[in-house]
Amino acid sequence: MTAIAIFLACLSQFFLVIGQLMLRRGMRVTPVRVGSVAAGIGLLTVWFFLWLGLLADWDLSRLFPFEGLNPVLVVVGAWLFLKERVPLSGWIGIGLISLGVALVTSS
Amino acid sequence: MGLKRWFFNPFFQLGLDALLVTAAELLLKKGAMTGASLPRSIAWIGVGALASAWTWLGILAYLLSFACWLYVLRHIPVGLAFGLISIAQVLVPLGAWMFLGEAISPRRWIGIASVLCGTVLIARIVVTSSQT
Repeated sequence: MTAIAIFLACLSQFFLVIGQLMLRRGMRVTPVRVGSVAAGIGLLTVWFFLWLGLLADWDLSRLFPFEGLNPVLVVVGAWLFLKERVPLSGWIGIGLISLGVALVTSS
Repeated sequence: MGLKRWFFNPFFQLGLDALLVTAAELLLKKGAMTGASLPRSIAWIGVGALASAWTWLGILAYLLSFACWLYVLRHIPVGLAFGLISIAQVLVPLGAWMFLGEAISPRRWIGIASVLCGTVLIARIVVTSSQT
């Protein structure tokens, strides 16, 4: 993969993770924070088209490390920014899921 | 009343979300393959697929899955919910294996097993914490 493709893949993951965090931030309270949810939808839209563009140029089996890392990035982000507490077995579970997604998409 | 409570259970919505995402991906794939063939100069954007009803069903499934996802995020922490929804990634190869008779490589089986083990671990945490 070219340096630009790797950069775009990292950027798209960034939009996905922040978008998901914004959705949760908006949805977890009553009343719902509409601004956060709208921002989340906007970020996920950017992610969707960036990822679609990458998939058009590269085979999914080349993009598997990025696909696999998503669950880990989201749980780390939620821990850092939303103060979600995750027990040790949760981190192990997320690790297994990430590894599994990477293995499934790479072959 | 019982049915309503069952439908609004976050776990039911999460499962429905996973099935809808899987269905959406399969429908979009089918739409992309059966869509009108356009001149190559514009075909790369994928607009040809919009001519297929399958594509629109796929988009509808995506929109419904997003509604489920928003509901899930009201009740389950996003770090854990995102791990659980990753099960959709293994439903496609599993579905193709069960219904289309497609082969799954040993490497893929290991990946599927790994995702399922992780999902069980996460699900146990979510169930335990939602009971307290």
